[in-house]
Amino acid sequence: MGLIDHRFEDNFITTNIDKILTWARYSALWPMQFGLACCAIEMMAAGASRFDIARFGAEVFRASPRQADLIIVAGTVTKKMAPVLRRLYDQMPEPKWVISMGSCSNAGGPFPTYSVLQGVDKIVPVDVYVSGCPPRPEALLYGLMRLQDKIKKESTVLRKARVIHSGDSEPTLVEDRS
Amino acid sequence: MQTLTNFLKTIFLVDLLKGLWVTLKYTPQPAFTFQYPAERRPVAPRFRGVLRLQVEPATGAQTCIVCDQCAKACPDDLIALGGHREPGHKIKVLDYFDFNLSRCSFCGLCSEVCPTKPVKALIMSEDYELGSYSRESQIIRVDQMYDGVPIEQYTH
Repeated sequence: MGLIDHRFEDNFITTNIDKILTWARYSALWPMQFGLACCAIEMMAAGASRFDIARFGAEVFRASPRQADLIIVAGTVTKKMAPVLRRLYDQMPEPKWVISMGSCSNAGGPFPTYSVLQGVDKIVPVDVYVSGCPPRPEALLYGLMRLQDKIKKESTVLRKARVIHSGDSEPTLVEDRS
Repeated sequence: MQTLTNFLKTIFLVDLLKGLWVTLKYTPQPAFTFQYPAERRPVAPRFRGVLRLQVEPATGAQTCIVCDQCAKACPDDLIALGGHREPGHKIKVLDYFDFNLSRCSFCGLCSEVCPTKPVKALIMSEDYELGSYSRESQIIRVDQMYDGVPIEQYTH
């Protein structure tokens, strides 16, 4: 894909190729197994037959980052685990997306301590944050659909920079309201 | 005798047929899968979803009395609220109610201590579809606390 990525101007053929490529991308999001805590139980439930994440083409949980498009960070990321997560993310081939599942990986959750990473977006760019403690399997499916919505709006061959949100700090809760 | 029985079992694929019979028995049953975006499973009666502020159902008046109990009860200090007192009125008017969803562990302590009666001002609603694109949009302001977090409909 490196040959055609973001190299073409907007015209009839490129927009249609873009549609096909994004269709292929959002219909087969292969997630990587990255269950770290109790959120992983709900992720497994979403993969099982009751909720069946296969209906969205995301059932093939790969054990290898080189075969995955999506990494679902499900659970508390400790500072010891953070370099491992970054390495696995770097090993994934482009295009790649990240879903942060649950309060712990969103912002550290109930662990504002020295050993827990305060938000997984400090080390990897997160596309969708799914809130919940843990989120229900439906909530994960909803987050997956939001990610698919986001991928539909991205372009592949058009000359357009991919917007990667990088949250680097915890947003302030209250502004100065004097 | 034993060897002959085993030989016949192997010849006539008895074990294989037994296994296939189990598969066949489950085949006519209706599908177990829950078609999530099309149908929504009812939640348990005491389910704790995202926080929601309630209004008086008859008049639509504000029920929150700005007592700050929920902010004190929150173990992670996720709620910040404030109000002002209008001259001539006894009850405070809610100005802002900021709720940081990103850290919330949905323990329900905030809605448990809410003292307003008969309508509780702060409840745990039944909404669980929470997926946002940024950290900033996980801070829920007062208008979203009344209306609920917007949920995209993916039924097509």
